[in-house]
Amino acid sequence: MTIRRRRLAASAMAMAATTLLAACGGAEPSGDDDATGKITYFTFSAAPDHLADLEAIKAEFERQNPGITVEVQTAAFTDYFTKLQTAVAGGTAPDTFELNYENFVTYARSGALLPLDDLAQADSDYDPSRVYPKALEAFTLDGQLYAMPSTFSTVVLFYNKALFDAAGLDYPTADWTWEDEWEAAQRLTDRDNGIYGDFQPVTFHEFYKVLAQNGGSFLSPDGKRATFNDAKGVEAAEWLLRKPGAVQPTLAEIGGTADYDTALFKSGKLAMWHNGIWQIAGLAATEGLDFDIVTEPGNTTKANAVFMNATAVSAQTRKATAAWKWVRFLSTSAKTVETRLASNWELPAVNDPAAFDTYLKQTPPANRQAVFDALENIALPPVIKEQQSKMQDIVTQALQKAATGEVSIQEALDEAADEVNALLS
Amino acid sequence: MAEQRTPVARRRISPIRLTTTIGRYAVLGLGALAMVGPFAWMVVTSLTSDAQLAQVDAPLLPDPITVDPYQRLNDAFPFWRFAANSLGVAAVSTLVQLATSATAAYAFSRLRFPGRNALFVLYLATMMIPMQVIIVPLFIEMRYLGLVDTYLGLLLPTLVSSFGVFMLRQAFLALPKELDEAAYIDGAGSFRVFAQVLLPLVAPALATFAVFAFMSSWNAFLWPLVITQTEAHMTLPVGLSLLQGRYSTDWNVVMAGSTISVIPVLALYVFAQRYVVRGVTFTGLKS
Amino acid sequence: MSTLVTPATAAGRRAPATAPRSPRPRRRRRWRTAATALAFLAPSLVLLLAFWIGPMLGTAWMSLQDWNLLGRPSYTGLDNYRELATDDDFHAALGHTVAYLVGYLALVLVFGLAVALLLDAHLPAMTLFRAMFFLPVVTSWVAVSLLWKWLLNPAVGAVNRFLEMLGLPGPGWWTDPDWAIPSVVLASVWKDVGFVAVLLLAGLQAIPGELREAAQIDGAGWWRTLRSVVLPLLSPSLFFVIVISLINGFQVFDQVWVMTEGGPAGASTVVVEQIVKYAFSYGRIGYASAMSLVLFVIILLVTLVQLRLQRRWVHYG
Repeated sequence: MTIRRRRLAASAMAMAATTLLAACGGAEPSGDDDATGKITYFTFSAAPDHLADLEAIKAEFERQNPGITVEVQTAAFTDYFTKLQTAVAGGTAPDTFELNYENFVTYARSGALLPLDDLAQADSDYDPSRVYPKALEAFTLDGQLYAMPSTFSTVVLFYNKALFDAAGLDYPTADWTWEDEWEAAQRLTDRDNGIYGDFQPVTFHEFYKVLAQNGGSFLSPDGKRATFNDAKGVEAAEWLLRKPGAVQPTLAEIGGTADYDTALFKSGKLAMWHNGIWQIAGLAATEGLDFDIVTEPGNTTKANAVFMNATAVSAQTRKATAAWKWVRFLSTSAKTVETRLASNWELPAVNDPAAFDTYLKQTPPANRQAVFDALENIALPPVIKEQQSKMQDIVTQALQKAATGEVSIQEALDEAADEVNALLS
Repeated sequence: MAEQRTPVARRRISPIRLTTTIGRYAVLGLGALAMVGPFAWMVVTSLTSDAQLAQVDAPLLPDPITVDPYQRLNDAFPFWRFAANSLGVAAVSTLVQLATSATAAYAFSRLRFPGRNALFVLYLATMMIPMQVIIVPLFIEMRYLGLVDTYLGLLLPTLVSSFGVFMLRQAFLALPKELDEAAYIDGAGSFRVFAQVLLPLVAPALATFAVFAFMSSWNAFLWPLVITQTEAHMTLPVGLSLLQGRYSTDWNVVMAGSTISVIPVLALYVFAQRYVVRGVTFTGLKS
Repeated sequence: MSTLVTPATAAGRRAPATAPRSPRPRRRRRWRTAATALAFLAPSLVLLLAFWIGPMLGTAWMSLQDWNLLGRPSYTGLDNYRELATDDDFHAALGHTVAYLVGYLALVLVFGLAVALLLDAHLPAMTLFRAMFFLPVVTSWVAVSLLWKWLLNPAVGAVNRFLEMLGLPGPGWWTDPDWAIPSVVLASVWKDVGFVAVLLLAGLQAIPGELREAAQIDGAGWWRTLRSVVLPLLSPSLFFVIVISLINGFQVFDQVWVMTEGGPAGASTVVVEQIVKYAFSYGRIGYASAMSLVLFVIILLVTLVQLRLQRRWVHYG
């Protein structure tokens, strides 16, 4: 028994030693320097639809950088972090890997990521102004850049023009408020014919956003207390909760059918839909669907959700320079930008209006500008030091409890705030 | 008694037997319908086009019926490669599990040795901790052994099965000890008693366990996910998981994958039936 | 019970007295047996120790740490266990798991046995029926849970529509906190009936036909034959099924994860689902390991009790 434990400790020490060596860039007895050779790249956004696109980007990178080969590994988003964390714990972390904003903080703080500033400065080809500044900011911690932003997506309001026309209503504009949305939704709902006016899921991801739209804030300025259960929070939760049953199918009606809202919108039975721009490709391919987008209505202010992904370099890597080159290529190279835009594979996080020109000219939807307008008022998800996921689950559960009517909204939010405060302490 | 049995039995049982048989078929038929009906839904979904899948009020039978989802399976990941890996791993795993389980089961059921009960509990104990937690130390161990992303690393933890040991132990225990003793008298050693006397008699249990072992390995997901890195080693369930996108999933393709996945195990099960039929009867011991 | 028929008596022959043993000293024989046993056990034991017991000890070690898998673990002693003692969510999950187990075990045993008895006949089409009952067992949980979500859809699902036809109110199934666990039980029983039936069938097939016929000749009806002949002889298989179902039932995961995700509003959380969440989503694998060990102890105790009770009702050849 003790033998096993000693072995475990020994392997842990071996891991630590390797990490230390890698971080210091210590002398490699093997002869491989850290700027050539094989590097691994682990991603969740490529499968299943964009494997070919990633191949094209990789091929171009390898052409421009003879001596470096990239091995791509993929996993579905739901399994991605299980596999990644196990690999990091076991000392076999991929050299480079994709991270979304919410998980980034934990990885950076735990020392799993290689700080990129030194590599960036040593690279004469790197121009930081090419990267979208807000994204760079998001992935910088304590003054150090820990991951290169690669893509972003915004959440907008999709609407079905045909249904609006049929009801004789004006299309939503960027000046709309919750009231406008609510009124229109009610007029557009025709439950007998299976037509619904609006769809917005009742989850953490919607809540923090509508809270911002109502001028509230999730955490106190010093980040030590939950403040989402104040009056503004209750109003925001109420906004989400009044929709199911009135203008939106209830959970029971959805019956757990996967992607029910997508099917509803594609069938032309949903007038307004809060969702991300990743849906555009599928909607554009749907025959007979006449739709457009607009930035989401706010209440006291406008606030939009942005999802950002970045590529990080593992602290365990032995090929830091090669990894940096790949990471930079994935974010800012012309080939990447071109490929992503052409295949609707999220939007490259680059500061390049010219590149986006072609994107904006594609229709449908006509108002693609809304995608970028949304960036003017960003509501970033609240990120806490530890147990981010647990905080999200607490809030979603509280909203679900309030939805069943078991407890009042205020009670549910108060309970959630207590639990979140316990996490923060 | 044997001479009196036959004529009386035949005359008395016949009409009752008929009703019983009809009733049997009726209940089985209903049950089978409940079992298979939902599966039919799965197959139907796998033959639905994307456009119809997206419809809210889709009709019960897709129109048109398309095999496109099946063709797309191969585009999403190297389907045949992964299936071959799964087959190879499952086959090796099953065969080795049969060997390791049968031998251990024999020891636990037929041999008395100190600490037998405690050791058996130890075997059972390995089933009592969820795989999801064991994965991390197991992975670290594999890494230490240099077996990450290798077939050996994929196989090693699956070569022993406490479930099998337990199941076969029960099967052995049901066999009368007189069989062993008769063989011992004839001069056989333990291994011959095991291999030539007892093993054939538990053929039904062996066949049944083989099916379960194969199925368990064929459907295993978590360990293959974690231990494999390159496509060369990945298995079918891992491949099928790649069909699930972050924001949306092509359920018709997923169902196509699930449908195909069912076939090998079902085939094995049907094949194994011939070993499970009642053919082993005790008429006492040979004198 | 008193008319227990044994193979020997049925054959009309009395079992011979135990064969005369060779006159070797008992201690030497015991060592030889132990050595033989070791030889038979070696393959499985080595593999078990290396790849199961070892990692289990690793888990025990992890339960004494605070570790998010990404950084370095930090030793916290028994803090995780202390926290578990007062963790309401964990207790709720444990409660749900037990509720699931009770419903699942009862139903799967009754239906499994019924199906096994029905399939135990040399009649045409039995192979086909057996395959049909086995089909759900072979299908993956991803497919099965989608399927059952649809079947149990409170509005348009087949089950509620059927209940409507009978004039009964259809519950909210897995959208209703009170019906979430029963929904999971239903789906699990459906999937595993074939599994249990196959196991019990193997046991039934090993019961010599003459025994049942003999009992019937003696005037026993179907029910009596079942009780006095079949069930006792089937008891080793039944025992196996019960123990395995308990061990697996406590660790129920896939169906909850895919069907209800622990909802609605945490009404169907189960222990392993909490373990997975804490290990990989909340960054607390130490806490998850502590949970696993508590679960392990519970399962171990339940199994030990089962093993003890074996003597009372399980009849071995």
